[in-house]
Parts: sequence; structure tokens; C-alpha cells
Amino acid sequence: MSNDRATSTPFTKGLGFFVVLGIALLIILGIFVSPADVNQGESVRIMYAHVPGAWLAYLAFVMTAVSSAAYLWKRTRSLTWDRIAGASAEVGVLFMGISLVTGSLWGRLTWGTYWTWDARLTTTAFLFVTYIGYLAVRGLGGTHQQRARRSAVLALLAVLEIPLVHFSVELWNTLHQEASVAGRGTDVEMNGLMLFTLFLGVVVFTLMYIWLVLHRQRSLMLEDMLDDSGLDNALSERRAEATQVGH
Amino acid sequence: MSESDSPDDIGTSPDSLDLSPREPSARQRRQRRPWLAMIVLLLVVAAGGLVLTKFLTSAIDYYCNVDEIGAKEGCEAGRRLRIQGIVDVGSVTDNATATEFSISFGGVSLPVVYEGEPGGIFKECIPVVVHGILRDGVFNGDRIEVKHSNEYEAENPDRIAGETDKGSECSL
Repeated sequence: MSNDRATSTPFTKGLGFFVVLGIALLIILGIFVSPADVNQGESVRIMYAHVPGAWLAYLAFVMTAVSSAAYLWKRTRSLTWDRIAGASAEVGVLFMGISLVTGSLWGRLTWGTYWTWDARLTTTAFLFVTYIGYLAVRGLGGTHQQRARRSAVLALLAVLEIPLVHFSVELWNTLHQEASVAGRGTDVEMNGLMLFTLFLGVVVFTLMYIWLVLHRQRSLMLEDMLDDSGLDNALSERRAEATQVGH
Repeated sequence: MSESDSPDDIGTSPDSLDLSPREPSARQRRQRRPWLAMIVLLLVVAAGGLVLTKFLTSAIDYYCNVDEIGAKEGCEAGRRLRIQGIVDVGSVTDNATATEFSISFGGVSLPVVYEGEPGGIFKECIPVVVHGILRDGVFNGDRIEVKHSNEYEAENPDRIAGETDKGSECSL
């Protein structure tokens, strides 16, 4: 297979190595080294996937909006920006899913319920559903430029939900606790080793995000190339067929 | 070299060409009829509507604090409520069918009867949200959710009981 059909480069291969190493380190620290919580017990360890998942989903959706704005900028209209936006949204939905599933398990252990309709959970569900909708809009068909324009406008609107989700715990009474690290409070009420493990989780998830988006936007480019080659292929197939018939 | 060998002759001998429409390839079909995307989009709109309804009916002000009962709009006694308070020290008693305890917030205490065993990390001095109805001064709960704070502290097996920063009485 020639190299221009692959989605990996020496950079992504190196990055992938560090992602795997980071995940291993996070598991060791998260499961074995960091302490249990005085109230939550062992279930506090879920936080090391739940919180980075949510933050990186925010970041991914912001990246989708930034790339969409870059696409819409009158001088660019480059489909590369559109593909980065799409790839980032896909990875964001994946990370939001991780955050929702781990949060639900933590909720069962700590709150005593998997799900409840408080403001944080409800706005998060809305954000999740919005970006599944965004991905569906990308799949509606039409030309690549049509796809890019439609989805870019939607991405710029959808990103406005993120502040609502983040500040929902301050705007309304919620069952979900307020932010521990990125909150407005002055002190971080967290044990040092727990905070370090959480920080590591954010670093590992960030590397994983970059790695996945690089691969995905390249595979989206190959898909677009395949679509573009469809007409040429159809013409040459007919031509070949007709030539054979002519014999 | 005969004339028919040249590709430029395509279309000049209609008898030999099949020009009837052909079945589109799998890939062309996928592009023309994005059924999956449309179905997903319909489901998304439906789910979005449901979530929005939940947001307006349930999520805005998820609970009333104990001291807000009868004082704040939407917290009237007699209707179904979600009440938040901190479980009072020494108030928890279990009998065969129910768990009884009291919760306090803002200096007001409220007795609670809950049919069953509370889940989660239910214990004294922890904030809880109880769903139910207030009858004759007693809150009849049918669902309890333990509200965790945003504090994370390492579990220390050497800590002497009563030496915690909360002390023997819960301090708000």
C-alpha cells in the first residue's frame, strides 16, 4: 500500500506510543496509587476518566467551532478545515459518551441512582444529542461544500451550549456537585495525589484527542477523494465496457 | 487496426451499445439516499424535544432546601417536592420496613420517612435530596439521592473517630 493512502505518519506513530504509555500510567495511578476518598471510597477513581472525558469533549466541540469558522472565513473555504471540524466532533461525541457512562456508574454508587434530570445532567444530555445531530447533518449528502457550509453554521450555534452546561451547577440547584478544579472558588478542595492523577488524566486524554483527530481527518480526506473519484471511475468503466463491446 | 479499436468510436454504433440505465453501485446509492442520517436526525430532534421538556419541568431548580418549604415559589407543602438537607446526627433509625431520619438546612429541621434502605453513600452529616410529599409535618420520601460535595479527601484508616474536621456535630 502506498504511503499516501495511510493515515499515519511518523509523528502520529510516536504520539500513539505516548498515548498507550499514558493510559497505562493513568490506570496504575488511578486504580492502585491514588487514595480512596473519605466519603466516596473506591468510586472516586471513576473521576479520572469522567472529568477528562467531559473537558476534552468541551475542547473538541470548541475546536469544531473554530475550524468551522476558519472554513467559513471568506478567503479560505478549505475542506481541510471542514474535515478537522467533523473529526473533532466525532471524537468529542466519543469522549462525552465516556463521561456520561462513567458519570452514570459513579452516580449509582454515590447518589444511589444512574440518572436524574437535574440541570447539569439535562444540559449535558442536550449537548450530546446536539452533536449526534451535527454528525447526522454531515451525512445528509450533497456536495462536499454543501456539507461543509451546513455543518459549519450548526457548529457555531451548538458551541454556545457549552457555557450553559459548565455553569449549570452554579445557575441552578443541581444534584451534581459544583466544579472542584475549574470552579469559581479560590481553593481546590482535593487531595494532592488525586489532583495529580486528574491532571495526568487530562494530559493523556488531550494526547489521545490529538491522535484520534489526526487519523480521523485523514481518513475523512480519503473518503472525500473516493467520492470525487466516483464520477471519473464511472466514466472510465463505461468507456472500458464500450470498448469491449466494440470488439 | 480496425476502426472499432479506437475508443473515440464509442457511441457511433448504437446497435452495439447498451445505453439503458444501470443499477447504481452501492457507493452511489449511499450518497444519493442518506436514509440513515435522516433517521438519526429525526431521532435527535425527538430526543432533543424530550430533553428540553425535562429541562423546563424538572431541571430548573431541581430541589427546594428545607427552609424554603412554603417560603419559595414552587416549594409549597402538599405538592410533590424534592427537598435538600443535611442528615442530622443521630437521627437515623431503621425498622423493618422504613428508614426514619431528619434533615436540616438553614436552621430548619424536617422529619423524613423513607420506605426502604437508602442507596449511594447515605449517612449522617451528608447532604441528601429526598423526593416525596409532605404530610402532617412528616416528609414521606420514595426516592433518596445523596448529594456529594466537591471536596475530595483521602481516606485515612488511622484517623480517630471524632477527629475529622466536621467534628461530632455536622458543621455547615
